[in-house]
Amino acid sequence: MEFLGLVNYALFTAIFIAIYALLALGLNIQWGFAGLFNAGIAGFFAVGAYTSAVLTTPADDGRLGGFDLHFVLGWIGAMLAAALVAWPIGKICLRFRSDYLAIASIGVAEIIRLVIKSEEVVTNGARGISGIPRPAGDIGYTESQIAYLVIVLAVLIAAYVLVERQFNAPWGRMMRAIRDNEDAAKAMGKDVEFRRLEAFIFGAALMGLGGALFAHFNRSITPEAIDPMVATFLVWIMLILGGSGNNRGAILGAAVVWIIWSVSEIATDRLPHEYAIQAKYIRLFLIGLMLQLVLRFRPEGLLPEPLRGDLRGSRRTTKSGADHNQARSTGPEIDL
Amino acid sequence: MKTKFLALAAGLMAATALASVPAQADVKIGLLGGISGPIAAMAPAMIDAAQLAVQQVNEQGGIGDGEKLVSVLGDSACNPQNGTDAATKAVNIEGVSGIVGPHCSGAVLAAAGSVTIPAGIVMITPSGTSPEITGLDDKGTVFRTVPSDDYQGRALARTLKEQGYGKVAVAYLNNDYGTGLANAFKAEYVDALSGEITQFAAHEEGKASYRSNLAELAKGGADTLVIFDYGDGTGLTILRQALENGFFEKFVGGDGMKSDAVINELGAENLATFVASSPVGEKSDSLDMFNEAFKGVGGDPDAIFATTSYDAAFLMALALEKAGGKKEGVAAAMVEVSNGEGEAIRPGEWKKAKELIAAGTAIDYKGAAGDHNFDANGDVPGTYALWEVGSNGYELVMEMK
Repeated sequence: MEFLGLVNYALFTAIFIAIYALLALGLNIQWGFAGLFNAGIAGFFAVGAYTSAVLTTPADDGRLGGFDLHFVLGWIGAMLAAALVAWPIGKICLRFRSDYLAIASIGVAEIIRLVIKSEEVVTNGARGISGIPRPAGDIGYTESQIAYLVIVLAVLIAAYVLVERQFNAPWGRMMRAIRDNEDAAKAMGKDVEFRRLEAFIFGAALMGLGGALFAHFNRSITPEAIDPMVATFLVWIMLILGGSGNNRGAILGAAVVWIIWSVSEIATDRLPHEYAIQAKYIRLFLIGLMLQLVLRFRPEGLLPEPLRGDLRGSRRTTKSGADHNQARSTGPEIDL
Repeated sequence: MKTKFLALAAGLMAATALASVPAQADVKIGLLGGISGPIAAMAPAMIDAAQLAVQQVNEQGGIGDGEKLVSVLGDSACNPQNGTDAATKAVNIEGVSGIVGPHCSGAVLAAAGSVTIPAGIVMITPSGTSPEITGLDDKGTVFRTVPSDDYQGRALARTLKEQGYGKVAVAYLNNDYGTGLANAFKAEYVDALSGEITQFAAHEEGKASYRSNLAELAKGGADTLVIFDYGDGTGLTILRQALENGFFEKFVGGDGMKSDAVINELGAENLATFVASSPVGEKSDSLDMFNEAFKGVGGDPDAIFATTSYDAAFLMALALEKAGGKKEGVAAAMVEVSNGEGEAIRPGEWKKAKELIAAGTAIDYKGAAGDHNFDANGDVPGTYALWEVGSNGYELVMEMK
């Protein structure tokens, strides 16, 4: 294990965490702010990844495009496309509540995956798109990873600052009001349907951006990447573990979960070969167990949603997570 | 709770740090496979076959001056996220000199694009069949021991035409394997040979009934159904339901359909009109040698992609030996050890290969899955044969060109 190798691995891990943090931030807008249970992250991730791929690759006869545009345009396009796809979906599906919305959004993500896999004229079907340009990709291995990390971090910080501002602005307060008590918010004259749609679209745009960053990093995107396990449920675990309703929690959760997911494999690699294959499955079990433990012992996550006003006082007097009603009023809760 | 997580993470890291004191002289290769995920049922046999090659190398003198060849297992889970993660760890944490795998094309493309090509590590995949891999800008570092789907589809089309098949309908599984084969078949059969395909339809896997698909496929009057699917999965269901309902008279399959499950489930007597192609062409000594060795360690030689996995690992070892255990020369050495010229080396003949390399003689690996002989893109043309079902399982009909 050389030092340079460790640096390269750390860089790679940091890039992945940043990409997942973007997805978790997007989900935080939908679930943490607005209480929308979107289980179709993979769908918006895929729309963003493919849009950027089509926009930035050189022309190809077999499919739509490519248009050979600058990667920045590709990323903006990815956000717009994901938002555009989210609009009609939100318009229809957001009338559902909690679990019903979750089921509908899983279905939507699956539809998107199958369309991408089947529509060869647009996406090159099951073969996927390769040869996607990576910004600063032509320099050495370590250098190009550093360069990409800088770019991804810049995007993540920009997204974080903007989302955090929104969260503390009147808009964020209104979203939480709608989440916690829809009827009261309606009585105050808030347009609940429209605001929920707004949150859904903003979140989807961030997920699309995350997908685009992922596709450019790997220089390719295939339907295999639209795997609900790694593109939807892993993100959910990150947000729940980090603390839904808290943007820093979303980023921290992405880091903790990805590090456990990735580093645990290095540990299991040390087992003798006859166990090595079985040991790989332990990782899946570990992630599931972690989710169970968090939900049981710390439902508000590592960094809970910051509380304001009177709630701050009342929270101290009640044991966290013990009182159902209390949990309802201080943060979103999982109804599974 | 937070402290518990920190403790858990710290524990894992400590375990890693404690355990990672490799002997200096070892030469490492990464074995990346889809151990979890959609091909979890296929992966263990493939990994075992590759491990067999590593074991044989070590039993017969190891690499260079008796250095041990050590394999490091990674889970690419058949998706790009885990594929790149596993490749990064193999290259940077383990310091491997070459990578055998990953198993799925999407993971191959991503791991090559973001890890092995920039890092200059040679990768050889035993089962990434996507034609996209051919076109990778890889500086000669990406190889495969399995032919691109393009080749097999075209070879099958030519053979069917030769055998006098007329109108056919094509049913293919909607993934990179099925789509790739079906499109190549269509391009050759219709465009190059002016044959007629009456229906050309994808299907999704795992449904209980494909009767409506079959009814649709039967429209247009084709008497032959070409199935690109897996014979131990959806392909079996389709074949059974087509036979039961008499939708077609003749059936043709790709290598995925050449599975013993088809014979065991449907019975040889019902499969008189079924033929399947497969890349394992000529009945060679190489294949027998591998089969015997693999049975010896408790493996099933008929497992899909077992031969290509073995060949990939053995070729990687030969290239490493030729390059003196250094990762820098592996790409060039890989082409030299399998280019059709030189003394033939067969599976398991590590000692002989080692002596020849030491003497500076050119060698040519003739593998269990075929002769390989890489072209400029690191692809192998593959040798194919058409098989029919006889009383003792699959029997050779003819070689395919």
